[in-house]
Amino acid sequence: SPAAGAPLRLCSAGLAPRGVNKAVVGRILRVDHAGEFGANRIYAGQMAVLGRSSVGPVIQQMWNQEKDHLKKFNELMVAYRVRPTILLPFWNVAGFVLGAGSALLGKKGAMACTVAVEESISDHYNSQIRTLVEEDPEKYKELLQIIKQFRDDEREHHDTGIEHDAEA
Amino acid sequence: VRWQLSPPQRPLQASAVLRRVSDEQKKEPLASSSQHQFDSQPADHQHDQEPQDPHSSYTGQDGQESEDYESEEQLQQRILTAALEFVPEHGWTAEAIAEGAKTLGLSVAAAGMFQSDGSQLILHFVSQCNTKLSELLEQEQKRVQLGEAEKKPTDQFLRDAVEARLRMVIPYIEKWPQAVSILLLPHNIPSSLSLLTSMIDDIWHYAGDQSTDINWYTRRAVLTGIYNTTELVMMQDSSPDFEDTWRFLENRVADAMKMGDTANQVQSTGEALVQGLMGAAVTVSNAETSRAER
Repeated sequence: SPAAGAPLRLCSAGLAPRGVNKAVVGRILRVDHAGEFGANRIYAGQMAVLGRSSVGPVIQQMWNQEKDHLKKFNELMVAYRVRPTILLPFWNVAGFVLGAGSALLGKKGAMACTVAVEESISDHYNSQIRTLVEEDPEKYKELLQIIKQFRDDEREHHDTGIEHDAEA
Repeated sequence: VRWQLSPPQRPLQASAVLRRVSDEQKKEPLASSSQHQFDSQPADHQHDQEPQDPHSSYTGQDGQESEDYESEEQLQQRILTAALEFVPEHGWTAEAIAEGAKTLGLSVAAAGMFQSDGSQLILHFVSQCNTKLSELLEQEQKRVQLGEAEKKPTDQFLRDAVEARLRMVIPYIEKWPQAVSILLLPHNIPSSLSLLTSMIDDIWHYAGDQSTDINWYTRRAVLTGIYNTTELVMMQDSSPDFEDTWRFLENRVADAMKMGDTANQVQSTGEALVQGLMGAAVTVSNAETSRAER
């Protein structure tokens, strides 16, 4: 495994390990990276409005996890030499607006937004897991592990949202 | 003849060598001159991005091709590589390909396998150069990792990489304008663009670019611009060893570096401006409120 602080480099000539289907992995990572980036901006928007409210700490915690997810995908993008989506500036604004907009509707609005977003993210991760398992579970072991972990995190966010939505 | 000039072969190649020898016995003796112009093997096809194993041209890219059968694609690669020697004289044409085929002991009719406008020959050449560049950059990176060489600052790295790549065109510089115009034909644009973008991506990758935001695009766009303009300058340059071209390149790269700083400065100024305006708005609104209360 890479030394602490050293960037994750899977292979010389900047290519992923031989045999990895570059097109499939590229699509998956690009979409996931964009998704995590968007999720980050949504939580940022929610925090901007509800940061000082009672649900502030809850949102902050979920946001921190999303930051970790994004960091991981940044590393994977570089390691697999995947092009990021050109729509990032758009997701930057759209995500923030969605988060802030839903938060302006109140805590319930923010939580409802979280529930909806996390629901669709976990479905999305699930279908990616299916794709990779169909391709070759051994070859994509590392990637599968990461996506499964993230899918579980997102489900947790979803459940947290339900919890707080129900309470509020 | 060719094998002697290459570094020692790996055991996998033994059967390929035997097949080659039996081929040689069947055909006329090969001319050696066409082969040692290039150290690297026929370059990779555009579709497959794996680094070309320099010794694997006769056993296929992953060694799985049966060793007594040379695919049509491999044969085409060999002919095109052989044809390059004749480009300075005949241009990127079917004549050059025919001459190349002759040196391999094949009939000139073999040139009929290729498109008549020379596109395939040019694309083959570009692909081969890109592969060579990747190998060079890879080796340099290894040397830096082993501590045998200093890590270059970004601007110098980019300059050196672009220069190294452009120098590969020098032996064909007379006929290069013809090649560029053929590469710009609509039916060639997908291939030539793809080769260009992957080469630029390679350079940035080895330069250490790890951006995953919009910078990924701006950096590549800027470097592509630098590469293309420098190539154009080179085609009109008659200074000794193209020193005018390299100076042009140096200036363009320096401009690009400065642009990065300027963008940051513009952003900071913009942010400061916004804060100033917000402060002014709050002050005015407070003043209004307090006046209204009086």
